[in-house]
Amino acid sequence: MMENRLFRVVGIRPLPQRPPERKRKWYSGKPIFSIVFLIVIFTGCMTCEWFMTKDPAYLDLYNCSVPPGREFLFGTDTMGRDIFSMIWYGGRASLFIGIFSTLLSTGIAVCFGAFSGCAPAWLDELLMRFVEIMISVPGLLIIILIQAVLGPASVASISFVIGITGWTSMAKVIRTEVRQIRGNEHVIAARCMGGGFFHILWKHLAPNFLPSIMFMAVMNIRSAIAAESTLSFMGIGLPLEVISWGSMLSLSEKALSARAWWIILIPGVFLTATLLCITELGNCLRRCGIKRENNLS
Amino acid sequence: MKKLMLFVFSIFLLSVIVFYVSRLAPGDPLISYFGDRVEKMSPEERQWAEEKLGLNDPIHVQYVRWLNNALHGDFGISYKYKMDAAEVIRSRLGNTLILGGTGFVLIFVFSLLLGILCAWREDGWMDRVICKLGTIISCIPEFWLALVLILVFALRLSWLPSSGAYSIGKNGDLWDRIVHLILPLSVVVISHLWYYAYMVRNRILEEVRADYVLLARSKGLNKRSVMFRHCLRNAIPSYLSIMAISVPHVLGGTYIVEMVFSYPGIGTLSYESARYKDYNLLMLLCILSGILVILCSMAAQLINERIDPRIRSGDVSADREVNKT
Repeated sequence: MMENRLFRVVGIRPLPQRPPERKRKWYSGKPIFSIVFLIVIFTGCMTCEWFMTKDPAYLDLYNCSVPPGREFLFGTDTMGRDIFSMIWYGGRASLFIGIFSTLLSTGIAVCFGAFSGCAPAWLDELLMRFVEIMISVPGLLIIILIQAVLGPASVASISFVIGITGWTSMAKVIRTEVRQIRGNEHVIAARCMGGGFFHILWKHLAPNFLPSIMFMAVMNIRSAIAAESTLSFMGIGLPLEVISWGSMLSLSEKALSARAWWIILIPGVFLTATLLCITELGNCLRRCGIKRENNLS
Repeated sequence: MKKLMLFVFSIFLLSVIVFYVSRLAPGDPLISYFGDRVEKMSPEERQWAEEKLGLNDPIHVQYVRWLNNALHGDFGISYKYKMDAAEVIRSRLGNTLILGGTGFVLIFVFSLLLGILCAWREDGWMDRVICKLGTIISCIPEFWLALVLILVFALRLSWLPSSGAYSIGKNGDLWDRIVHLILPLSVVVISHLWYYAYMVRNRILEEVRADYVLLARSKGLNKRSVMFRHCLRNAIPSYLSIMAISVPHVLGGTYIVEMVFSYPGIGTLSYESARYKDYNLLMLLCILSGILVILCSMAAQLINERIDPRIRSGDVSADREVNKT
């Protein structure tokens, strides 16, 4: 820094030492660890039949709440099921719920947001009020109510419920973006040439707002998985027989009284690690803004 | 005036939706009123009971009757507690307000401090460590964090009680209540803290990159006074409006925490009422939370308008929108 006794130079700083192009590795700045971890989890869950040591659904009543050991790698739960096998097998349900409900909510959000963004002002106002009302009811209550209408919970119904309650904030973002670009020349030109709503949406609007919702979509996967586990934990999500990370944790009340820490800690660590890696991935997607220099230093 | 109309209309619509959906959902409200005796009831007795609770009319007749009573200040009785629904809520509301209110204040203060600290030392080791730690903590599901804390502090170390709001018979003991509050409160604060702190950090960093900072620095102001006099002053209004919107969010977080710690508050109450079809209680709870949410978002909008009068003249609901035409 150029320093002087009376004055101090601000706003000028030496150029950062940037490593030369060829020395920068292809993976710099990318969350390699998270991606690898997610791939391991994903393939592990998909191919779990090949290496599971026990049948995850088998109730081994002689071996209830056995601490982790050689036979049961991660121990058994209070019903005598092998936790190691359950984690891989149950991961399927959790990942499926995350992905499917995100697809559903993103689809709804894109259609709703784009429609509201293109609609005349009064309809737009009405639709946005509707979204605000949707947001204002506690999500938990909506989920409980819809779940009650749909009947006993299954993996498909849970992901449906989470999907149709999780689209509101994304729809708002899409609507704002669409309102900004709908007056652009290329959209008007496309409309003049007779392009239909979905054609314009897909060809002209979506490429513009996709980058900004990619991050939200990835975060939606995370919140869907978290929501499933919370619901199952409270006993309104998946029942005990359907194995997922959340339903494994719903035994925790019994585990607390039996002081069986492995029943609570091990599935939770897997769950949290997966959520963390998804978050890292999302943050990486978001981090493509313009970098401006800090004027304060 | 228009806002008031909108407010009333939103609440009305909300009540209709909740009323219809909750009654259409399968499940027997009589169970929550009579408990297990329902199974032994003869059809005549059932009919008599339904008649008495007014459950056998068509739904719209029920709704009009409910609305009429509600406008006269009578929200019906809770089937489970056999008391006025308003009375049941009033007895629990204090507990939730203590938990949620204290939590909210703590989140507000700590996230501001943490955000400033991180922004002050941007990209320093402390910023990096706090950011990493914060990301990890914000990923932990609330209920699991609560379970782990119970496991460690209540079972393993047995320092703190694991459930309830006070020990039996020690209703008025202040110290006892505080001890019971520590674990739930820390879960509420920890699980929400980083989200807002990160927001403050990014907001300040955005502000630090503005040109007026360069001007102030070249004028000779030192780093601290630029940060606290200028940057922070510009960043705080948007933080306030975000915090106003987040009130229901934090409150929703306390619901789950209350359930895990079986803390007698609104959260456990609304879970029970939705689960066991305690219609009147459920309606009142939904409407109360709806009112809270709408009030908070209105407050946020008001704050924004006060600060930035441009918003009022433009599109009301869009805060970031630039008018391009």
